Amino acid sequence: MELLAFLSFAALVVAWIVAPNTTQAPLSETAVEAHAEAA
Amino acid sequence: MEKIDTGDTAWLLMSAALVMLMTPALGFFYGGLVRRKNVLATIMHSFFILCLISVQWVLWGYSLAFGPDHGGLIGGFDWLALRGVGQAPNPDYAPTVPALGFMVFQMMFAVITPALITGSFAERKRFKAFVVFTLLWATFVYDPVAHWVWGTGGWLRTLGALDFAGGTVVHITSGVSALVAALVLGRRRGYGRDSLEPHDATMTVLGASLLWFGWFGFNAGSAITSGGLAANAFVVTNTAAAMGALTWMTVSWLHRGAPSVLGAAAGAVAGLVAITPASGYVDVSASILIGLGAGAFCYAGIQLTRRLHVDDALDVFGVHGIGGVWGALATGVFATVAVNAAATDGAAYGNFAQLGIQAIAVLAAVTYSAVMTFAILKLIDIFVGLRVPEHEEVLGLDASQHREAAYQI
Repeated sequence: MELLAFLSFAALVVAWIVAPNTTQAPLSETAVEAHAEAA
Repeated sequence: MEKIDTGDTAWLLMSAALVMLMTPALGFFYGGLVRRKNVLATIMHSFFILCLISVQWVLWGYSLAFGPDHGGLIGGFDWLALRGVGQAPNPDYAPTVPALGFMVFQMMFAVITPALITGSFAERKRFKAFVVFTLLWATFVYDPVAHWVWGTGGWLRTLGALDFAGGTVVHITSGVSALVAALVLGRRRGYGRDSLEPHDATMTVLGASLLWFGWFGFNAGSAITSGGLAANAFVVTNTAAAMGALTWMTVSWLHRGAPSVLGAAAGAVAGLVAITPASGYVDVSASILIGLGAGAFCYAGIQLTRRLHVDDALDVFGVHGIGGVWGALATGVFATVAVNAAATDGAAYGNFAQLGIQAIAVLAAVTYSAVMTFAILKLIDIFVGLRVPEHEEVLGLDASQHREAAYQI
């Protein structure tokens, strides 16, 4: 079970590394509209 | 007479205070998620329940839940107005603390459980209907199920179901009841059309943080003693919360392209929910897996309820219902006598029977909560009316139900 625990955490760390770079990811339509309304 | 232990008593009373804080914390968690015109009404749901159930519990709730058993189903009226509940310990429940201390600790569980449900019918329920619903639900759902699982002679306790701090009693009952309430009340006006976005995410993260803090009392306090078992519960609680937050945030990052702040907050709560029944029976490795599962399963469950267009406004079923079921079953997998000699080993240690017992407890809690909640809501709808009229929903509950405004800016 200790091995599974380590693997779980490792999987998350890997996911963070391969996840989209948020500064380059396209904004969703909803977020764009929300920002436009707030401006 | 059992000897009172001052360490146990101090920790239990402090834990009661920690759990008390969770109810206003829930008010903030939910309050940030609703629209600005409903924030005060949402916070009032939690604050009012703290007041209402504080009195209901001492008058008859504690007696029904923990009083001398009748048929394995209910406690009866022997302890009405706390008659017979005094400063001497009750050896059946807490041999080293005053009976009043155990009672007030359990009170805070009875308070927060109906408060959890309020998230599902946020922004559309009449205050009067909410008051009557809470009183009836606490008396006819929470008190009996608490007796089944924790009361001396309760049938699920006798069966051997393991629920350290309330996976079935608190989270499954409230989560399933929330789903029923969402279906019976119907969707909010403008659902799927208007923006129903949270008005203050910072309030929600603050609420989640205070819930996390209070949960140390919820789980570690359920050891009833101040020692190794409480320390174990404390550690696995924190670990599962952290894993739940990390997992939900990660899943939302991969699914929607950005790590969600509200998702991290919700994930922490999901992890806390799932570890609740297991916290006195599992070790830290298991708590990492339990938190991981909570983050993933609860996130998936919420996507499903949204796809089915069920307006469980604040995802109570997704977090507490699904998280509670996962936690109760995971207890049947990961429980070990190495952590708690009073427990039974789970499936991971070769005892698959415990998983079956947990499944029976889950089924009983789900079925009873769903049926009773439906009946109570239908009854209230006949005599009081569940929903506010459409113009009051548009105006907002702060103005229509309380004639107050949250903000003057």
